[in-house]
Amino acid sequence: MTDARASVVLGPGVAAIAGAPPLAYRNVDLLERPDRPDRRFNLVVEAGTVVAAIGDEGSGIGALGVLALGLRAPTSGTVEVFGVPIAQLPYYDLLAFRRRLGYAPQGDGLLQNLSLKDNVALPVRFATDHRLAEVDARVAQLMDDFRLRTIAMLRPAQANEEDRRRAALARAAALNPKLVVLELPFVGLTGRAATDLLEKVTRCDDGSRRAVLLTSRDLTPSVRDLVTRAVRVVDGVAVEETT
Amino acid sequence: MLRVLINQIRFTALQAIGLVAFLAAILAFLVISQSIRQLGRFGAVDNLGTIMVVAVIRELGPLLTALIVVSRSGTAIAAEMATNRVMGEVTALEAMGIDPYIYLVLPRMLGAIVSVATLMILFDGVALVSGYVAAATSGMALSRYTAIVLKTLSAKDVWLTLVKGVFFGASVAVFCSYHGLAVKAGPTEIPQAVTRGVVATIVAIFVLSAVFVVVAA
Repeated sequence: MTDARASVVLGPGVAAIAGAPPLAYRNVDLLERPDRPDRRFNLVVEAGTVVAAIGDEGSGIGALGVLALGLRAPTSGTVEVFGVPIAQLPYYDLLAFRRRLGYAPQGDGLLQNLSLKDNVALPVRFATDHRLAEVDARVAQLMDDFRLRTIAMLRPAQANEEDRRRAALARAAALNPKLVVLELPFVGLTGRAATDLLEKVTRCDDGSRRAVLLTSRDLTPSVRDLVTRAVRVVDGVAVEETT
Repeated sequence: MLRVLINQIRFTALQAIGLVAFLAAILAFLVISQSIRQLGRFGAVDNLGTIMVVAVIRELGPLLTALIVVSRSGTAIAAEMATNRVMGEVTALEAMGIDPYIYLVLPRMLGAIVSVATLMILFDGVALVSGYVAAATSGMALSRYTAIVLKTLSAKDVWLTLVKGVFFGASVAVFCSYHGLAVKAGPTEIPQAVTRGVVATIVAIFVLSAVFVVVAA
């Protein structure tokens, strides 16, 4: 599956191609229409860039996140994450691989029976071998960074939309991934809140920029300023936009 | 995960203690009262122990306890799993690299096993006491009641109760979780998933009871 000479080990049984782009869609049939080989999606998200895929309902942007995480296999073409065709990984290798990625699904995907703090802590507790003190320190840092400290113990249903989105993005950034995929992250938010959240989520712990793919119906001018590249997805095909 | 396990035991076992004890007391009282009356007509009161141990402790106790747990906790497990699925929480867990079966199902299964086994022991204990009360109202002395029951009760009945607790508890969690997580369409499917989970668990418990009768014979 991967070239052993060029691969680096990311975890048990999980390797990635050194120098490969964090995320690449190659000839992917977003709308699952095998009779339309002319409508294939191609997009590469380079390291340290913020790429926005803009599209309407039914354009195909709804499939980008689940394909990137290997939650669904493409019916044609490949989706490579750090050079690895993610859909071909066995289930438990796939779970291990996903711990290298951040993902904020449409809505928020928060667990309703957990507080916002416990939601943020979830990947740190379950997907790392950190000690309890290290988990607590990491979660405290995230709660501060994403301005969630005062509402940490609220359940998602008790929090407003912006705070839920903050918690979802804090959770996506919890394991300090090099690639984050955000599905419609700014729906219902003001331009200022969206800009604030995007600025936070694009920064790695060491200050470097992480690769971000975000999907959106539209971009406010303030968010557009933070985007490296924007493509409009029309009928399953990416069309370059001028940023 | 430990918190889910503790909550599961609290909800499934602790909060069901009153109901299980009440039903155990009523069932044993009714069975022993009727049995003494009928057996007394044939001078076969000494067979009371067989009825108490075989009917109440070995068969009806585990069955009734499991049915109580299905109706209280099985429905909750199925509804919770279905809601997790519909709200995208299962997908979110998988996206974080967390196995949803380990995070969601395993603690509920362990909690259900511990709870059902514990409640079955409680049921048996209360049934024995209530059986004595029923026998005493018919004029039977405690020493005679104890001798009759102990003559039939064996260590096999105790470990069989525990083994049934493990299998019945696992059935509650597995069938209800499976049908809850199988929801695809949306919230309207949740009640149907709960019904399917409960029916499947009840069938499984009755089938397992029959299997235990054959295996333990």
